[in-house]
Amino acid sequence: MSLEIKNINKTFTRTDLRGVLCAIEDLSLRIEAGEFVSIIGASGCGKSTLLRMIAGLDFPTKGEVLFNREPVRGTSPNRGLVFQDHTLFPWMTIRGNIVFALKSSKRYDLYSDTIDTLIETVGLTAFSNSYPHQLSGGMRQRAALIRSLAVRPDVLLLDEPLGSLDSFTRMTLQDEIIRLWQARSNTMIMITHDVDEAVYLSNRIVVMSPRPGRIVEIVDVPMHYPRNRATPDFVNLRTHLLKRLDFASEVEQEYYL
Amino acid sequence: MKNRVVHALPLIVSVLILLQYLFVPNFRKFTPLDQNAPTDLFAWVMAFFILVFFLWNILVSFWSAAEKKLRLRAPIYTAALVLLLLYDWATLKSGILPQPFVPWPDAILNAIIRDREILVSAVTHSLRLLFTGYSIGVAAGIITGVTAGWSKSIRYWVQSVVKVLSSIPPVTWLPIILVLASSLFGGAVFLIALAVWCPVTSTTMNGVLSVPKSTFEAAKTFGVTSIGMIFKVALPASSPFIFQGLTQGMSVACTALLIAELMGVEAGLGWYINQQRGWAEFAGMYGAIVIICVTFLVVNAVLNIIRRRVLHWKEGEV
Repeated sequence: MSLEIKNINKTFTRTDLRGVLCAIEDLSLRIEAGEFVSIIGASGCGKSTLLRMIAGLDFPTKGEVLFNREPVRGTSPNRGLVFQDHTLFPWMTIRGNIVFALKSSKRYDLYSDTIDTLIETVGLTAFSNSYPHQLSGGMRQRAALIRSLAVRPDVLLLDEPLGSLDSFTRMTLQDEIIRLWQARSNTMIMITHDVDEAVYLSNRIVVMSPRPGRIVEIVDVPMHYPRNRATPDFVNLRTHLLKRLDFASEVEQEYYL
Repeated sequence: MKNRVVHALPLIVSVLILLQYLFVPNFRKFTPLDQNAPTDLFAWVMAFFILVFFLWNILVSFWSAAEKKLRLRAPIYTAALVLLLLYDWATLKSGILPQPFVPWPDAILNAIIRDREILVSAVTHSLRLLFTGYSIGVAAGIITGVTAGWSKSIRYWVQSVVKVLSSIPPVTWLPIILVLASSLFGGAVFLIALAVWCPVTSTTMNGVLSVPKSTFEAAKTFGVTSIGMIFKVALPASSPFIFQGLTQGMSVACTALLIAELMGVEAGLGWYINQQRGWAEFAGMYGAIVIICVTFLVVNAVLNIIRRRVLHWKEGEV
């Protein structure tokens, strides 16, 4: 797996602003196989747009996203995406959702025997025949996570997957995400606006500035897993990132023509 | 204790009906040649009701499901039976309601049995007409609804047409249809289909529009094809809305069916009612109305069962 983002620009024509909104400007990034990369930044910095372009749901105005040296032209089961809202199909059971994902991506024959184990690893065995509305918010997000993982994507894109959860559920799920990632050694790219979460989970953290979206800094996180939120290294890095984000908001510019 | 009394109410009222039917004198004398002379039929029907409610009251003591159902239904059954009692008294026993225009239950039952063969073929014909029109309307409505939900330019046209058509009662077109249609059956089918098409189209369209964009995008990341998007995502996701349209559509379809049969089609229940009215056969006319009520109640109950089956995944259903 290789993922390379080469000098991409993304502009949106916005009638309400009577002009063009530059969401991302000249952004380049290389992501290695098996990495856990977090992208942080204030809202409106284009991080979601960036993730959608990697997923193949949006396309850069200029530049290209290369996945396995091929430009991304659309979605692929090799690039899974987990949304902030669970997006489970409400008319299917949890198991049904996973089966649907596997069948749609034509990987049912390959991985159908792993469904039950996967459901078990996130503690949903008792709920595998329940419908999404019968589950709690945390359970739904777990289910959405394993639904995307079930098709074994090379890259899993996480768009603020824990954003709508309370902080306790959030922390439990962060540990589960690490466990799942370490078990499968796929690449993870996560968007978050929670600095703590980024430091807790990632190998590398990309700090973005808003309007237009640019990379301000890329920080390596050499700490071992599982990480301790109270160690000096952790706290220092968090403080550093928060400073960078403040700085990022200082360079805010006019963004429409 | 209080529940016991409620459970017994339908039984008590049924017994009262039977007693007043058998022992209260009728408002006039009947000769055996009189077509509407009271028979034992109504008494036997009430005896059957008494038996059913009696057994149900016994069943209650050792089957909790039967108890729940009886406790839930007993008040409404009692009210219906009280109405039946009043009706029988106001017609056969006192003649307060104008005679012979309001026949009593026994006469209606006998008229139904007398004309059973014609009635069975009328019900068959009506149902065939209803379902042919209804299924064509539903199929067309779902197709236009989904495409209108999908594409903005199709939506522009479909929405305008639906807006105009839904403010005009579909039966307005009946005279034109009856003149132009090559067969009365075909014309009525068209009318019913048109009546059903409007609500089904607009609810299906709203259903598709209400599906969150992220649901489609999630499906897209799994490689769902565009045909799969329609059949495996858009349709099931909007099925609660579609069923709303199916229910609305059924009620307008029933209206359109009856009017078409009353005004032109030469078969079916509406036509039968007209025939009976023409011959001043009031018992037969009331009998047909009873049959119509029962038929439509059953049709809607079946639709409701299907809806519950299909939407069992949805919160608040079942």
